[in-house]
Amino acid sequence: MTTCRCLVQEGQISPERRASLETKLREFSTKLGSPSEVRWSEIAKGSGYTAAMPSTTSVVVVTADTPLEQPVRVQLLHELVDFWTKGAGCSVDEITAVIGDPAQA
Amino acid sequence: MPLYMTNGAAGVLDDDAKKKIAGDITRIHCDVTGAPPIFVHAFFAEGIPDMPLGDKSVLTFGSIRSGRSDAQKESIKSQVRDAISGHVGLPPEAVGVMIFDTPAHWAMEGGEIMPEPGEEAAWLAAHANKSEAPGA
Repeated sequence: MTTCRCLVQEGQISPERRASLETKLREFSTKLGSPSEVRWSEIAKGSGYTAAMPSTTSVVVVTADTPLEQPVRVQLLHELVDFWTKGAGCSVDEITAVIGDPAQA
Repeated sequence: MPLYMTNGAAGVLDDDAKKKIAGDITRIHCDVTGAPPIFVHAFFAEGIPDMPLGDKSVLTFGSIRSGRSDAQKESIKSQVRDAISGHVGLPPEAVGVMIFDTPAHWAMEGGEIMPEPGEEAAWLAAHANKSEAPGA
């Protein structure tokens, strides 16, 4: 099963937007293998920093079921960032996306 | 990227300590690696399920771009441990710091694949406004 973990800053993404993003993430994860359970962690106000300043960055980490060729990974990262920015209402500077290969046994 | 995620036991990390630790993590990472500050994320939480504290009161996982030397990683771990220890008033033994490599080409920031360590100039040139943000 693919895995998907989202770290978001408290209050930055409304519950409605989050639900919509979760649906999109589940659909998206099928391109990387089996559908993913989406796990959310909210970073409380005063607890997230980027460049030592209060952060507005979300971090989305998806792990594929099988290793990806880099051109495929890049295309998928662009797709992920595109629907995340539209769904969350943020800029591309406010999303760090990672699509990783599965851990080696 | 890097992302330094810090998990603390209940009540150990107050907001003032988090701000100071985030500043130190950013400074330490950039001093050791030469990376620009704008790349450095430092997040804090309590009771993160997949970061069990074990016998520690504070645990930091640093996910950094692959390619740093073992000496660089040891320096980061040592300095971050000391910084957290100093800001929360705990002995260094109560603070755990672990570093994990993530290939830069797995990650996208600013809508572009992250540069490999030492190849940041083109990325920064394309993101000049962001890299000139306060504190960067």
